[in-house]
Amino acid sequence: MTIVGFIEGPLWYFSLAVFVLGVVWRLVGMLAIGRPKDLSVPTASSAAGAAKAVVLHSVPHGGNLGRTLYHFFAGYLFHIGLFALVLFAAPHIAFFNKMFFTLPWPAMPRWAFIIAAEAAFAGLILLYVRRLTDPVSRGLTDIDDHMGVWLTFLAMLTGCLALQEAHAGLRALHMLSVELLMIYFPFSRLMHAFTFLFARGYTGATYGRRGFTP
Amino acid sequence: MPLERKPTLVSVSMQGGPPAPRARSRCGPRGARTAPDRLRTVVALLVLTLAVLGTAGLLAAQAQSSVRPPDGAAAPPPSAQDTITKPGTAQGPAQGSDLWRKIREGKSGYSATKGPQADTLITSGGVAWRDLHNATVLRYGGWLLLGVVAVVALYFLVRGRIRISGGRSGRFIPRFTLVQRVVHWFMAVLFVLLAVSGLILMFGKHVLLPVLGPYAFAVVASASMQGHNLFGPLFVASTLALLVTFVKGNGYRWVDVKWLFKGGGFFGGHASSHKYNFGEKTWFWWSVVLGLALCVSGFALLFPNMLPDRAAAQLANLVHAGAAILFIAFAIGHIYLGTIGMEGALEGMTNGTVDENWARDHHDLWWQEHKGQATTDRRRAEVLAAERGDAVAGRAGS
Repeated sequence: MTIVGFIEGPLWYFSLAVFVLGVVWRLVGMLAIGRPKDLSVPTASSAAGAAKAVVLHSVPHGGNLGRTLYHFFAGYLFHIGLFALVLFAAPHIAFFNKMFFTLPWPAMPRWAFIIAAEAAFAGLILLYVRRLTDPVSRGLTDIDDHMGVWLTFLAMLTGCLALQEAHAGLRALHMLSVELLMIYFPFSRLMHAFTFLFARGYTGATYGRRGFTP
Repeated sequence: MPLERKPTLVSVSMQGGPPAPRARSRCGPRGARTAPDRLRTVVALLVLTLAVLGTAGLLAAQAQSSVRPPDGAAAPPPSAQDTITKPGTAQGPAQGSDLWRKIREGKSGYSATKGPQADTLITSGGVAWRDLHNATVLRYGGWLLLGVVAVVALYFLVRGRIRISGGRSGRFIPRFTLVQRVVHWFMAVLFVLLAVSGLILMFGKHVLLPVLGPYAFAVVASASMQGHNLFGPLFVASTLALLVTFVKGNGYRWVDVKWLFKGGGFFGGHASSHKYNFGEKTWFWWSVVLGLALCVSGFALLFPNMLPDRAAAQLANLVHAGAAILFIAFAIGHIYLGTIGMEGALEGMTNGTVDENWARDHHDLWWQEHKGQATTDRRRAEVLAAERGDAVAGRAGS
């Protein structure tokens, strides 16, 4: 078996299994912990508080616009760009159709792909540079953050280097970097892609029950 | 050897030879042809011929009308053969070599394809561009880059790392804001990605191809081209941001001339400066001017169809390559001084603060104005730097 064949065959299925099982294991584990029963008399709806927190924490609120504008701008730039690339790039759609037997869905035109890639790269670099230069963010950063950023950056970079779709080696390099990211994903803060709703909802429900807006 | 003439149907009939027995039997007394019969046959053949010719003429007329340009369309210009004077008429029709020589010299003709120089079969300007690009820009540019690396390495070997005189003081002065550092590193990341991919595209054919071989080099070159084209537009934003965030304090002063005459203190002695010395100011303006030249020429190369002609694309290519080489050459010196070449320089761009002794060594006029901000509380200095850089409360730093 060639290296390309190994990357696009056994290693892909292994990384997919680690990713799926790891994410499920983490989520089930967190939910299984549960929480102590809240014996206080509710003054407002927990569900409304949870919904409010999920929405409000997605935009600057509470007079924090000045302090959060940078993260708001760079964060959305990166995440929207990344999801557009992952879900609507024509080669990715073809890959999903082939691997998961899904029905095809419309792909972005090439110019939109380029803009999405520019946005994702700009957002990621801006966020990482800020993390390294801001004294508070730097103090909160550990190796897990660096690993997550670099693996994501490598996956994006190798994908864009393979844009010409003319060399199997470049495609395999992209797949390898994505597979490393998928294997690392469940055991890192990258899990925030799944847990951010639970975290915001839990905080919102706790405060909402007491009549506060977090 | 005499040619043997083969008998044909015509020759046989002209020779008046006897007809074939089978024909004779068919043209026997019952079917013998008379003079009126022959006349009718000739007339019938004539009518048939006219009918065929008439039909062909109608079809030809229809075919011609189907490709006729619409009413009001301009008449096509004369063809290449009409434009180019046919030489060599004394020897008959145009000679191929003369015709192709004219084409080779860039004579234009007619082409149904519309676009810049679409009617020119061979654009000889490309040869001159290629010679200039390969023999001048790449050759001397390559030597320039190697020369800069050699000079920097030699300086490091001779001078060693420039240490802070008297060692670190343990007192920190805020120097760069968070915005300035973010812009600097944003541009630095893009610069490294673009410089590496650009150098591969420029010199890879001469340096990497013999080492990697054609297939591996094709992969590397393809990746470099895609990456270069992708990161290029982001470099425009970073260059403009650099101009906005660092322009203050980068105007030249008389003290910069004195700094220059003292060699910046690199060869001994002390050269005074404010927040930015002559070298840093020159690096800033160098980055802005060359960065904008790279951005404009880069966009021209990304969208060549929007250029007026091929000469503009060739000019854009030369400007892009030349500006990139000059940019990278200066950057080598900047990166050297910012990292291994000078103790205490890098932290100004990472933490936002510098050691007080470093400030006194290299930016004494700036230090005089800001030494009151020096503190042993590093975290506090970093937070102050992030928020307002070297600006003293109530007034901006110089």
